[in-house]
Amino acid sequence: MTTVMLVDDSATMLMSLKSILTKAGYSVETAGHGKEALEKLAKGVKPNLIISDVNMPQMDGITFVREARKAPGMRFTPMLMLTTESEQTKRNEAKSAGATGWLVKPVAPDQLLGVIKQVVPGA
Amino acid sequence: MAGLLRRQASPAAPGVPDVRADVVARALRPVPEFCEIVDAHLNDVIEQTGEAAEAIVGQMLKIDSMAEVMAGDVARLAGTVGRTESELAQVGASNAQLVDRLVRYFLYRDEQVRSLVDEMRGLKQHVTQIEEVSKATNILALNAMIEAVRAGDAGEGFAVVADEVRKLATRSSKAANDIGSTIADLTARLDAVLTDDSNFDESVQPEQAAGDTAMTRRLNGIAQAQREMSEMVAGILHDTVDAAQQVQQSSDALTGETTGAVGHVQFQDISRQMLEHVAEAVGEVKRQVEDTIGYAEGGLPAEVVTGRIISVEALRSRHVMSRQRVTHGEQAGLAAAVDDTPIIELF
Repeated sequence: MTTVMLVDDSATMLMSLKSILTKAGYSVETAGHGKEALEKLAKGVKPNLIISDVNMPQMDGITFVREARKAPGMRFTPMLMLTTESEQTKRNEAKSAGATGWLVKPVAPDQLLGVIKQVVPGA
Repeated sequence: MAGLLRRQASPAAPGVPDVRADVVARALRPVPEFCEIVDAHLNDVIEQTGEAAEAIVGQMLKIDSMAEVMAGDVARLAGTVGRTESELAQVGASNAQLVDRLVRYFLYRDEQVRSLVDEMRGLKQHVTQIEEVSKATNILALNAMIEAVRAGDAGEGFAVVADEVRKLATRSSKAANDIGSTIADLTARLDAVLTDDSNFDESVQPEQAAGDTAMTRRLNGIAQAQREMSEMVAGILHDTVDAAQQVQQSSDALTGETTGAVGHVQFQDISRQMLEHVAEAVGEVKRQVEDTIGYAEGGLPAEVVTGRIISVEALRSRHVMSRQRVTHGEQAGLAAAVDDTPIIELF
């Protein structure tokens, strides 16, 4: 089963995204910020995809992606940024940090699932 | 001194507006608290909408869960009813075959009995023959009596009569034997009809008109009633399956709508960040008012105050959302901001 890690400081976002993904047949891991997500990766959680917010307490999404790329087995794992921000400079930062793509909130469930199928082989 | 503002309540110089720093400071003094209260309200809105959004998502998930349970129950019901419908059809067909077999059997049996009745009618010939023999025997016996009276010496005639009587007795005996064997045969066949249907060939279609007896009419009536009952129950089951499928479709549609609604709850995260930006801007206004009060009261030098004056342009630069920039542009009378960055971009 494809595992998706959701990283967002909004409990509402985590609940709604988890519901959408679970119903679509994915296994879901959640974290409230980048630091917590890194801790989960260090404990052996191996997601097939990471979807992260950008603005979060303790560790923002772009820093998290940069650090997550250094974790074992995460070099080629797709990592999507899901954020309210639409500025190009931030996108470029995320791309440089190793993000796979950029999605601006709100994203429709069908669109999100379509992107996941694009970036995760066999999802 | 701070520019044109006078710190004391003294008369203004000629040509200088009568603006007093203490009045300005007094007028501005409530603003920081005002801003704090506005900030508190904004945070309260953020908190309340957050709680409401979580509750909405929670309720949606419950509805979704119930819809899934309902869909599962209905699917199981549809499956059970579908199987029952299939089994009923099999039982109905089996019953129809059984009744048809019974009808054929009774037609066969009726034919056999009818045949026996016909053969028993044949016994009448033998009875008639025996009656004839009996009559002839009587006549001969009478003649024998007459001849015996007249005989005397003439016993020859009696001998002839006696011979004829013997022949008749022989015929009578044969007829009796025939009757006996025929009755035995008929009895055996009746027994066979009643106890053994091994000669019954189901594939033979008897003539319906000939076999239209009280028993077959009753059996056909039962068969027809059974067919009608099966059709009625099958109709009810079919309607139940249809209804179950419709409920399942509605449940699927409900699940789809719930998923869409859950997706829309992202508005809370967006509005939260927008409100946080507003609160931040209110905080800047508060800080600038405090600076102004500080300057008016002589606590802050002019360069400090003028060095961090809030700016609409700075506010605009902090907007991260396309919608924020559009709203800002509209309010500031700027040209409509065009955001051509894609909503979804894969690197």
